[in-house]
Amino acid sequence: MYAKLYKYRWQYLMILPGVVLLLLFNYIPMVGIQVAFRDFQIGTSIWNSAWVGLDNFSFIQDPQFLTVVKNTLYISVLKFIFGFPAPILLALLINEVTRPVFKRFVQSVSYLPHFFSWIVVAYILQSFLTLDSGLVNQFINQAGGDSIFFLGSTEWFRPMVVLSGLWKETGWNTILYLAAITTIDPQLYESAKVEGAGRLSQIRHITIPGMLPTISIVLILSIPSLITVGMDQIYPLMNSANQEVADVLDTYILRSGLQQGYFGMATAVGLLSSIISLILVVGTNQFSRKINGEGLW
Amino acid sequence: MKMSKGENIAQYVIVALLGLLCVSVLYPFLYMLAISLNDGADAAKGGVYLWPRNFTLINYEIVLGNEIIRNSYLITIGRTVLGTIGGLLVTLLVAYGLSYRGLPFRGTILGYILITMLFSGGLVPYYIQLNNLGLINSFWVYVLPGLFSVWNMFVMLKFIQGIPEALVESAELDGAGPLRILMQMIIPLSKPMLAALGLFTAVGHWNDWFAGAFFVTKQELIPVQTFLQQLLAASDLSAVLGSNTNQEALARSSQLQNITLMSIKMAVVMVSAIPILCVYPFLQKYFVKGVLVGSVKG
Repeated sequence: MYAKLYKYRWQYLMILPGVVLLLLFNYIPMVGIQVAFRDFQIGTSIWNSAWVGLDNFSFIQDPQFLTVVKNTLYISVLKFIFGFPAPILLALLINEVTRPVFKRFVQSVSYLPHFFSWIVVAYILQSFLTLDSGLVNQFINQAGGDSIFFLGSTEWFRPMVVLSGLWKETGWNTILYLAAITTIDPQLYESAKVEGAGRLSQIRHITIPGMLPTISIVLILSIPSLITVGMDQIYPLMNSANQEVADVLDTYILRSGLQQGYFGMATAVGLLSSIISLILVVGTNQFSRKINGEGLW
Repeated sequence: MKMSKGENIAQYVIVALLGLLCVSVLYPFLYMLAISLNDGADAAKGGVYLWPRNFTLINYEIVLGNEIIRNSYLITIGRTVLGTIGGLLVTLLVAYGLSYRGLPFRGTILGYILITMLFSGGLVPYYIQLNNLGLINSFWVYVLPGLFSVWNMFVMLKFIQGIPEALVESAELDGAGPLRILMQMIIPLSKPMLAALGLFTAVGHWNDWFAGAFFVTKQELIPVQTFLQQLLAASDLSAVLGSNTNQEALARSSQLQNITLMSIKMAVVMVSAIPILCVYPFLQKYFVKGVLVGSVKG
């Protein structure tokens, strides 16, 4: 046994930094979850803080927490309803383009927004939507309408989030579907043409079935993220005027934990959402095992 | 290929739709560029859509002349370079080590790594740990926690396992040790993969504002995106014009009254986005490949 371990000494040495980094930045924070059950203040040791049982979980009765959960689900479900089919449609459209130069151009351009931060996207929204000089309001005014304060309104927040999400990620998400389309056997199209199938029926009977395995994998993979709305997108767009609809679990944890110092409570909220997402991931895997015959791991 | 009349019309409709999509992506950048190159007070009157009406470079002079912004650039470049090189190195080494199927405890180590993808301590315990390690308010908070990306490691592992085993075995027969095989075979063969992962890591560092916003309070350690995030909600120019040197420069400028917060903001955004726009065309061929290998389930 020792001889075998010695034989692989270099490999262990190479793996070591990764193991140590995970210990420091992933496993020790897991041990820190006990803060959810303690009265912890920054500057003291976790281990010396008093146990408080489930006191930190009192947020469950807080009506604000219920609103936060509702906002989170609302936004993530909306984003899913629009965000899931959009890249499939776009991939089908791009695939129909007959001129290769234009095809490549469209692809390059549509991937581009993925590489900009949500902060930059927030600026784009701001430059188009501000009250006084924004382009959209200029047009509304010229058409005789009253300016709309898109950035500080509760009605416009969700459409803004969904649209900016579509703008940023739809093109990028077509990569997998376009790749799936290229693996379809061209002979299938040839024989369909011989039998007199038009473009539309070729799409329906060959292209879409060819994309189905990819579609189902993407669908399955997106289930666990249904309860997490990345704070990356929400936080830059959130302000006191739209907080009522914008506040999601991540921003709630951030505010109560890091900004207001309720460490125990914020940890408790985080623990609850970690457990739910763990259940979703494991459940999704079982589900995929049943459907595809194999799981994601 | 001959097309029927209906197909021809369909083709025009598709080209028009996709053309519209391209415009919707490109236009915001052109618009922001035009505003940033236009006299601020003039732009505020409206009517600047694509081309600066009252051309000026003053917005860029102020932005590039500002010490805070210049400094935030250095921080961003520093973390992007260190974080990308270090991250690739750690990820590659772990993936290569784990690619040996005969490695004792390989399954245990893989399990140890996989668990971190399923469950995490959450933000607050993570913050407490960063604080205990002395990383809060330190430059290293940008680099160290992100050095090992489990996701990238699995992508890399998958790729290395795709390299024919016979190749490695024949090198071993020739007496090459694991380090030599890594340097002379694995790295050259995985260049496209390393390029793709390096690109994603670098973009991640370049675009990250979160760490700067919540783990760092010292203004001199703040990266560009965090600066942008602070500026986003700013309602007056003092957020950009904070430093003394800059106010002096402004006092000398007679155009001061023509600068608006919006024109300055647009200039800062363009300055933060232009580097990505510049490298984008060169890296395009790599990232599609990277996504495809990454999506194959491990």
